[in-house]
Amino acid sequence: MNQVKRPENGYQSRIRANVIRLFRWNGAWGAATALMAFGPKLLWNRTLVFTLLAVGLDVAVGVGMILANKNYLAELDELQRKVQLNSMGITLGVAVVAGVPFSVMDAYHVIPFHADIAYLLILMSLTFAVSNLYGTRRYR
Amino acid sequence: MKNRLKVLRAERDWTQAQLADALDVSRQTVNAIETGKFDPSLPLAFRAARLFRMRIEEIFHDPTPDKDGGNLATEIKKDTDV
Repeated sequence: MNQVKRPENGYQSRIRANVIRLFRWNGAWGAATALMAFGPKLLWNRTLVFTLLAVGLDVAVGVGMILANKNYLAELDELQRKVQLNSMGITLGVAVVAGVPFSVMDAYHVIPFHADIAYLLILMSLTFAVSNLYGTRRYR
Repeated sequence: MKNRLKVLRAERDWTQAQLADALDVSRQTVNAIETGKFDPSLPLAFRAARLFRMRIEEIFHDPTPDKDGGNLATEIKKDTDV
């Protein structure tokens, strides 16, 4: 068989390394966010300095997560980047289109509960997952 | 855009994964290009041309005729050949 020359640092291994790095940053951000959200009440009895430190840590880890995501996107090949960007665009659109009316409905007490940001995050996660799955299957 | 990637790959007895490695893309991308679901960028088309040691237009071609019913690339080639 006519063998094609394999690059030493191939696409799949680079993407695998980037996905692992991205998962680690996501996990670290989740942990930092949990610390910031529950720490003041459960760990340091609302001491302001510790709360500010937790907020600073959360933002710093969040910046690391954004950079890891940016690097991941930059390393993707053009089709996979297109699928990711399409999913991100749809997610952003849905977040804005659904988020504003949701907030207005809360302000005018149309809904019987508080329009918490967590609902928006759940909607964004589900939208991204569905649109990403659709995009991946479309080009399979 | 139509292409001869699948034929060229088969002639060399390469798998989609091997071609993907050589082009530094995913196997899914090679499959999407071969099946005509995705058109590659110019840099990727150049990489494919270099890999197969062919000109881009020998691998990829646009079957859409121009307004006069001819193929624009063919017309340009005719002009340059004169």
